[in-house]
Amino acid sequence: MQNFLIVTFALTLIYLSNSERFRSFSNLIAVQGLILFGIAFIELKEVHTANLIFIVSETIVFKAVIVPVILHRIITHIKIYKVHSKALPGFYLLLFTIIGLFLSIVLANALSDQFLDTVFLTIAMFTLFTGLLIIITHKLIFSHMIGFLVIENAVFLFSLAAGKEMPMLINIGILLDIFASVLILGIFINKIGSQHRDLMADTLTTLKH
Amino acid sequence: MILVYFISALILSLGALFIKKKSITKILLGIFLLVQLTFTFYVFENAGNTELIYFTFDALGTIFLTVLTLISIAVVYHGFRYFSSRSTERFFFYHSALIGLIASITGAYFANDVTAVWIFVEATTLTGSMLIYHKKTATALEATWKYIFLCSTGIAIAYLGILFLSMTMTGVGIQDLSFDSIGKAAAGANPLYLKIAFLFVLVGYSTKMELFPMHTVGIDANSEAPSPIGALISTGLVNMGFISIFRVYTALSGTPIFSWMNHILIIVGLLSLLVAAGYELKMQYSSRMLAYSSLEFTGLVAISLGIGGVGYYAAILLLVLHAFVKASLFFQTGQMYRILNTHLVEESGNYMKIYPAGGMVFLIGLVCITAIPPSGIFVAELLIFKSLVYSGNWFVLILSLGLLAFIIFALSNRILKMIFSKPKRLGEEIINYTVKPVETLSQFIFLGIVIFFCFYQPQVLVDLINQSIAGLPK
Repeated sequence: MQNFLIVTFALTLIYLSNSERFRSFSNLIAVQGLILFGIAFIELKEVHTANLIFIVSETIVFKAVIVPVILHRIITHIKIYKVHSKALPGFYLLLFTIIGLFLSIVLANALSDQFLDTVFLTIAMFTLFTGLLIIITHKLIFSHMIGFLVIENAVFLFSLAAGKEMPMLINIGILLDIFASVLILGIFINKIGSQHRDLMADTLTTLKH
Repeated sequence: MILVYFISALILSLGALFIKKKSITKILLGIFLLVQLTFTFYVFENAGNTELIYFTFDALGTIFLTVLTLISIAVVYHGFRYFSSRSTERFFFYHSALIGLIASITGAYFANDVTAVWIFVEATTLTGSMLIYHKKTATALEATWKYIFLCSTGIAIAYLGILFLSMTMTGVGIQDLSFDSIGKAAAGANPLYLKIAFLFVLVGYSTKMELFPMHTVGIDANSEAPSPIGALISTGLVNMGFISIFRVYTALSGTPIFSWMNHILIIVGLLSLLVAAGYELKMQYSSRMLAYSSLEFTGLVAISLGIGGVGYYAAILLLVLHAFVKASLFFQTGQMYRILNTHLVEESGNYMKIYPAGGMVFLIGLVCITAIPPSGIFVAELLIFKSLVYSGNWFVLILSLGLLAFIIFALSNRILKMIFSKPKRLGEEIINYTVKPVETLSQFIFLGIVIFFCFYQPQVLVDLINQSIAGLPK
């Protein structure tokens, strides 16, 4: 079951990196939240009940419900529904995503250790790679935000892969997720949306080096 | 006592936010500075003690806390002056966030656990972003967005480093992540994981230390935040970034990856110098010029750590002196803006004639920041280059000196232009004579400290620095 969830998660990443519709982005983020709940539930069933409740509320309530609702609200607010310009064509993105998956498998195996689950490490690395790829290859700030949310999911998977012995670390990782996401989504919806209607990263280049 | 400090800071911060009376806010800030001073004295009296499990009053934290407290007094004063000619709409929010930022930095200085440090670093992102957005302009929003986005990414990367550390510690049977435990157990841990952990921590916290590769966060923040905040970010926050990296570095110094860490630090330091030199040469914005100068100093600090030996001592001394010089230059930039209404070097000029006290600060500041005797920075940099010669790192020495020459040229060119040349401005000069010479006193005091250190370094400081580096290999 766990492997099924992990493979499904990897598929959402491939779909996400090639998707062009903002609604698909937010729906996929919601699906990823649900999958993460499933993975965490199976993986951490022996952890203290309070921790389990904390993780469940983070994945189900925050990642699968609150964040996608905010994303939908932002899409409605900015009235842009589709990625209209990327730094790379879709085919190359797909190619890079596949290369990223391959590299993640190789790296995770090289780093394999008795205290580290290789499958978790692979998917965590692949998630990190996809998040960075989205940020690098998209020009819209909204897409950058999606890339950041994907990186947050990678951090969550890393904490599941490495932090089983220290549940406190997983909780701190969750706090980071909530803190950073709320801050970034908050500033996005309240400030940037009203000042930069086109939401292109290119417009945020007034500050010159 | 640290609990009392945090509770006081929280109450005063909330008081400043909700009471919304200018006179009361000023009193609250005064009380906070008293609390900060008292806490600093308390730390000196209780050196080495641990409180609330996660805080230890060690030597390095004590040095940086003293610097932070002194600079905070000036930051609060200049903040009041900053608002004297502006609308008070954001006055309360600004000061509430300021208390939060200073308290968060203080917490990070004494946190003895990797995760506790990380939490306080995260808190500085929250409070810092509130202050950077203070002007509410489009460029302030851009700087805030970049600050939050990059800092959050940096914090996430640092967290990955902590996860790798936790894995290695679990592997050797350690269940906590205090620096002491890591230092004791790291020698038997998986070196590959330790390397990854150090790399992630270095990259993650470079957002705060204003070190390559995440230095851009601090540059934008410094240029858009009010000048007193720019002073705090490029001093207290930079020192906090350093302490976060230094503690992990010290904890891992007894492992086989020690020389590898040193190589990484030297590479990062040289790249920081390279970027600083490149951008300084074309910089036309006074506060960004100072921000890139911070990158130069953090680069030198990284090289100094990487070289080791007397370089450890020089690195900490350099950070202390850099804090005083940089704070005074940032305060002066703020005053210059009040007088000339511009941050552009091309549009500034005749400053020595218009405001002689400010012109003198820039002139003495230039001597200090470029490490020309009698600047105390000269002593620190001499120690760094001495250690480079002794260790036979000729390539690093020549490259550093070459890059420093470009930086010195760029800084001298621009600062001298600001104080002596005729400004390139269309129409009449817009000059508001709103700055009194007494307002420049703090800058002279800080620069006086830097010059004093060229001739004499107080024994208490020497002892504290030596204690801070005692855990490192000789």
